[in-house]
Amino acid sequence: MSNLRVTHKSIGIKALQNLQTNLTSLGNIQQRLSSGREISRPSDNPGGGAMTMQLSSQIRTVEQYARNASDGEGWLGTIDKALTSGLDVLNRAQELTLEGMSNGSASADGAREAIASEITTLRDHMLQVANTKYLDRPVFGGTTTSPRAFDPTSGAYLGDNNPVMRTVGDDVNVRVDANGPTVFGTGASDVFSILADIATDVVSNPTALNGHLQRLQDATATITTQVADVGARHNRIERMHQNSSDRVLSLSSSLSEVRDVDLPATIVQMQMQESAYQAALGATQKIIQPSLVSFLR
Amino acid sequence: MGSTFSGLSTALSALYAQRQGLDLAGQNVANANTEGYTRQRLNLASRGAPTTPAFYSTYDGPGNGVDVTDIGRLRNQFLEQRGHTEHGTNNLLTVRKTTLSQIEDIFNEPSDSGVQSQLSDFWNAWHDVANRPGDKAARSQLMQRASTLSDSINQASSSLETQWQSNRTQLTTLVAEVNTTAKAIGELNTAIRRNTQAGLPANEMADQRDLLIMKLADKVGASVKTGQDGALDVYVGGSALVRGQTVQQLQVSGATEFSQAMLDASPRQTVQVTWEGDGYPAALTSGEGAGYLEALNTLVPKAYDDGRQFVDTLLISVNTLHAAGYGSDGVTGRDLFVRAADGTVSVAITSVDQVAAADTAGSTLDGGMATKLAALGRDPAGPDAALRQLVTQLGVDAQTANRRSAIQASITTQVDASRESESGVDLDEEMTNMLAFQHAYEGAARVLTAIDQSLDTLINRTGLVGR
Repeated sequence: MSNLRVTHKSIGIKALQNLQTNLTSLGNIQQRLSSGREISRPSDNPGGGAMTMQLSSQIRTVEQYARNASDGEGWLGTIDKALTSGLDVLNRAQELTLEGMSNGSASADGAREAIASEITTLRDHMLQVANTKYLDRPVFGGTTTSPRAFDPTSGAYLGDNNPVMRTVGDDVNVRVDANGPTVFGTGASDVFSILADIATDVVSNPTALNGHLQRLQDATATITTQVADVGARHNRIERMHQNSSDRVLSLSSSLSEVRDVDLPATIVQMQMQESAYQAALGATQKIIQPSLVSFLR
Repeated sequence: MGSTFSGLSTALSALYAQRQGLDLAGQNVANANTEGYTRQRLNLASRGAPTTPAFYSTYDGPGNGVDVTDIGRLRNQFLEQRGHTEHGTNNLLTVRKTTLSQIEDIFNEPSDSGVQSQLSDFWNAWHDVANRPGDKAARSQLMQRASTLSDSINQASSSLETQWQSNRTQLTTLVAEVNTTAKAIGELNTAIRRNTQAGLPANEMADQRDLLIMKLADKVGASVKTGQDGALDVYVGGSALVRGQTVQQLQVSGATEFSQAMLDASPRQTVQVTWEGDGYPAALTSGEGAGYLEALNTLVPKAYDDGRQFVDTLLISVNTLHAAGYGSDGVTGRDLFVRAADGTVSVAITSVDQVAAADTAGSTLDGGMATKLAALGRDPAGPDAALRQLVTQLGVDAQTANRRSAIQASITTQVDASRESESGVDLDEEMTNMLAFQHAYEGAARVLTAIDQSLDTLINRTGLVGR
């Protein structure tokens, strides 16, 4: 009907619309190329936009897990070293106790006093071990604000029993401290009282040493168990740390797949669009030029 | 038999008609690029012989030449009406698309600097506090990030408010323009009616009026009915904006502040375009005006409401946990964020000691609550999920609006091209017409010469025999 009649202006309107469409797509492609992003606003791809947000927040979280894990590794590494050196102290204490129990070499004058004094030194050393700090916090003191977990003279526990936890993965909270009383014993059976008892009794009451030795061996066994436990937790955190680093990589590659421009494909698209635009320009120039006026005398 | 000189008047009528045709071709060519000009055509009718029956004298000659009946205006009224509809819809969709895209800009997602990334920073700050509950630096970093987050939230809500205000100003300007345009149409109706009654041409005025009506269709989606004596009645939302020379005026009423237009404002006021006369709402369903109304009453308030639901989730989940925790001063029951009556969110605690990182009273190096707060970031019903849902919904809406707008733009261009091909000037056609009129003029002049020569022969050379 009405389309039968064509005027220069109606051709012009349609040509302009086509040019506009071409130029818009060219602009879109160039915008994607220069920003490097396939999705720069939610309407570009609503699902992809949500995924981009989720992936980038997950990456941030997992990176934080990795930082938490290194912090936890620091705690557990410190505890592990402290307990290992504590075990050395206790082994030496056992040797000395055994020496004190035997009547031969220990019967010499002053020898028992020497053993007693060394045991006292070992007790002090053990207290130092028990007050080991990581980043200024006593690692055996739970969440205490006190600068020490144990009283340096009496050996009384100053900390609390709250655990120190680190989040190293989704819903994975690992305890990164060791409870002082659990490791070193409580009350009269704690390792410091045992050592104090030995230091006293080695001089005054050597027959009691046999019982003390048994207690000391029990305490050593407890600490050995704790070392194993700490080692296991350290391993677990290390694995989670590795896991986090791997996940950051895989999440980043997923993010890039969703969000970033496929460079070769987009460049090819742009070139195709460019030639389409040029063709449209050329055609428009050819269409608009001639009219009957040019051919009349 | 016709009279001796009747041939002369036939030729004369032809000369007049063809010259008018030439003039008209000139007018068409002159206005080939004038916006809104409608090509005109000379309507000719052959002048018949006298038809009065007479007893003795019967006429058996040819007709008496040509008459210009009128100058036609070649515009298809149905196509025009289609144009009004499509233009109105196109403008509605363009405004919707622009509004949604502005809202997208306000939320600024996905990006490395949007609220989502600040949320991640906020949760990570909790992790840091959990790792070092005694470290004042970690706590103060947390407070900084909390206030950055609340600043961004406040900025987004105030941007939405600014957008609402500017849309309302645009609507007011638009209604003022519509009123002026309607008056102009009323005046043109009067002038055209007078010309039509006096038998004078009014084509150019009609062109001007059509242009103005199209402008009204753009603004408020007007439709048109033909009135008497060439007048056009313009209807907006079913009521007459212009009827003949009577013009109604529109006005903007309802909410003047964004706070009145919010979804949960009580009483909630919407912005309306009403008739100045009786105050009834003009039911705008298309055109820019309907787009602004949609933005003012639906899109912006909804975006604000969605945003606030996200903020609610954030505030409730964070405050519930924070109030259950203990600060390093041992005090419990404090909220981290507070929302003022005007909706502004701010950080409620003032010193690093008040950050409730501890799960248990007294033990101040406990980071248990900080760990729980940090875990909120992964909560499937938590603030992050709420934000993502908001952005996805916005993205879907904006994408739909973009697509519909693109389709409508192409439909509108098609209709415009059809309107143009119906009423636009084609130079080739005008040249051809010009040639036709020119040749016909030459022909009529030749007929005149022939009759003149015949009469010369009759008068000057007859009856000279034998002189």
